[in-house]
Amino acid sequence: MKRSKSFSIPAQRAVVLAVVGAVALLGACSKSPSGEDKKPDAAAPAAPAAAAPAAKAEAKPLPKELNLFAWSEYVPQAVIDGFQKETGIKVNYETYASNEEMLAKLVSGATRYDLIQPSEYTIEALANEKQLREIDWAQVPNGKNIAPEYRGLPHDPQNKYTVPWMAGTVGIVVNTEKIPAGTIKGYGDVFQDKYKGRIVVLDDPREIVTWAMSTKGIPANDVTPENLAKVKPVLEKWLPLVKVYDSDSPKTALLNGDVDLGVVWSGEAALLYNEDEKFAYVLPVEGAHQFIDSLAIPVNANSPEAAMLFMNYILRPEVSKLISADFPYTNPNLEARKQLTPEELGNPASYPPGNPKLETFRDIGDRAVPIDKMVTDLKAES
Amino acid sequence: MRTGSTSVTAPSGYQRPPGLTGWLLLSPLLLWVALFVIAPTAIMLVYSFGRRGTLGGVVLGFTMDNYAAVLDPTYLKIVVRSILYSGLTTIICLVMGYPVAYYIGRADARWRNLLLMMVMIPFWTSFLIRTYAWVTILKNEGLLNGLLMQWQLITQPFEMLYSPGAVILGLVYTFLPFMILPIYTSVEKLDNALIEAAFDLGAGPVRAFSRVIVPMTSPGITAGILLVFIPALGLYAVNDILGGGKVDMIGNIIENQFKGNARNWPFGSALGITLLLAFGIVFWFTGRRQEE
Repeated sequence: MKRSKSFSIPAQRAVVLAVVGAVALLGACSKSPSGEDKKPDAAAPAAPAAAAPAAKAEAKPLPKELNLFAWSEYVPQAVIDGFQKETGIKVNYETYASNEEMLAKLVSGATRYDLIQPSEYTIEALANEKQLREIDWAQVPNGKNIAPEYRGLPHDPQNKYTVPWMAGTVGIVVNTEKIPAGTIKGYGDVFQDKYKGRIVVLDDPREIVTWAMSTKGIPANDVTPENLAKVKPVLEKWLPLVKVYDSDSPKTALLNGDVDLGVVWSGEAALLYNEDEKFAYVLPVEGAHQFIDSLAIPVNANSPEAAMLFMNYILRPEVSKLISADFPYTNPNLEARKQLTPEELGNPASYPPGNPKLETFRDIGDRAVPIDKMVTDLKAES
Repeated sequence: MRTGSTSVTAPSGYQRPPGLTGWLLLSPLLLWVALFVIAPTAIMLVYSFGRRGTLGGVVLGFTMDNYAAVLDPTYLKIVVRSILYSGLTTIICLVMGYPVAYYIGRADARWRNLLLMMVMIPFWTSFLIRTYAWVTILKNEGLLNGLLMQWQLITQPFEMLYSPGAVILGLVYTFLPFMILPIYTSVEKLDNALIEAAFDLGAGPVRAFSRVIVPMTSPGITAGILLVFIPALGLYAVNDILGGGKVDMIGNIIENQFKGNARNWPFGSALGITLLLAFGIVFWFTGRRQEE
């Protein structure tokens, strides 16, 4: 899965490249950020006393650095700055654009990360391979703020490994100026011949196949050859109708008026809604994928203590609120939700009303390969 | 390169083996080639015979399954389409680039640097940002449609973005300088006396061009074709951004094996090796044609 957290119009790839370019051009200046980072370092001796909740740290000197490996555009700078200032621990924030990219770097072992931010099915895969370290909840007392519906989920049934960061759904966005509101209720309404060439979807084979499965009443994780054969005719009908496949920034085509409806990440939909309320978000009646991105500690982390300090820090309602303000996904922190504005809570893409049927993804191992192949085949035909 | 230097500097056919100093001078290049060409290719080759690891990565072993999978009709179709796209791109670049390169190469020295500079200015901006700029130009409510509608040439927005035409446009735009620059180098060295001689001996403009100018600039043309065709075949970003990811090119398929949900590195490596072999064959053929 490739999912953008990019909140500017060009996809984050372009932004990253631009930044890389700028850094290359300003080679000499690139030293200055680390220069700034020195400040919290210098304040470090005083910091442990200030960080009262982490009083245990007196026994052991606090780690100096935290290697955070997270989705691009998903961790507000204010959160990183606040944590650095309070603890004196320098945060090295490295980013990725897909779970698979993160796994690739993690298993290569080139850098030891203290904290990663995988989605639910990747957490399960990592836990199965014994790649995650158990959280010592005594060091993360703010864990009590996590909403009950985000505990004990299939990817971490005993809450051993993860602190949920943000959750979201994959649903339908409709430009209600072009298509009457209320006429689109599910995938079946989106993929109609009359909307040929007006649809954007995520460029993600597993997502697409899951939507088709849900129209046949097949649970999202029942990926079997028989079920794939069952949905193939559905996709044969659907894919030729699609105008754009885009996981990085599906909102662009909608915003530009090149398409009128789409199946996209809820965060993208929330931003479209903030831009213009004509963009309605609909959770498909057939059921929707709910993704949960969480913080987890790799088994070979250098400083799990720093990682747990960070987990505890972001679980504070006033910090978690900052994340919601920048990235309007669904906040799994019950206490933080109480502090959100009515506008934030009223955004239907962030907090969908009603009782939608939601499913999380499980790790499907090498059954992802035939999914990929089937979608590639169908795209090549259409 | 190889053919050019041997024909000019070693007419006798005798070549001294490099001495210690020669090897020393060569060592940075050899190190570079070993580190950045041979080692990665060797890793890719080893990976291509392995099996898919659970978390991505590769379980080493020996299986031909990945190569068997490459020979699937879908991938062959995608390879053929990629060749068509990059072939068309190369032809358009050649037709558009040659006159420009010729004009710059024959221009006054004062103008020449300015014109060359203008060819190269786009490189100062990231290629991806320039490609996104085309989205702004081509979209339904974009610059081009706005202009055309204002001039009343069209009444409805003309759907240009997310089509094969937009992909070709993006590829031509990206690679045009890579055609112009090598041809320019050849044109710049063109001996005026030879062209005059062609005219004196009764050749018309067409004949002088096809029998004298083109053969003499052929090293530049060949270099330009290679520099456009091969990278265009592997580039996937233009296809994603301007084509809407609707039809996959071979580069998209390879990218997906590493960054998409299949996490199938060995298969991606096998595709990469196959593509590399194909490039090798193209290069070898053009090299041979040059020698003749």
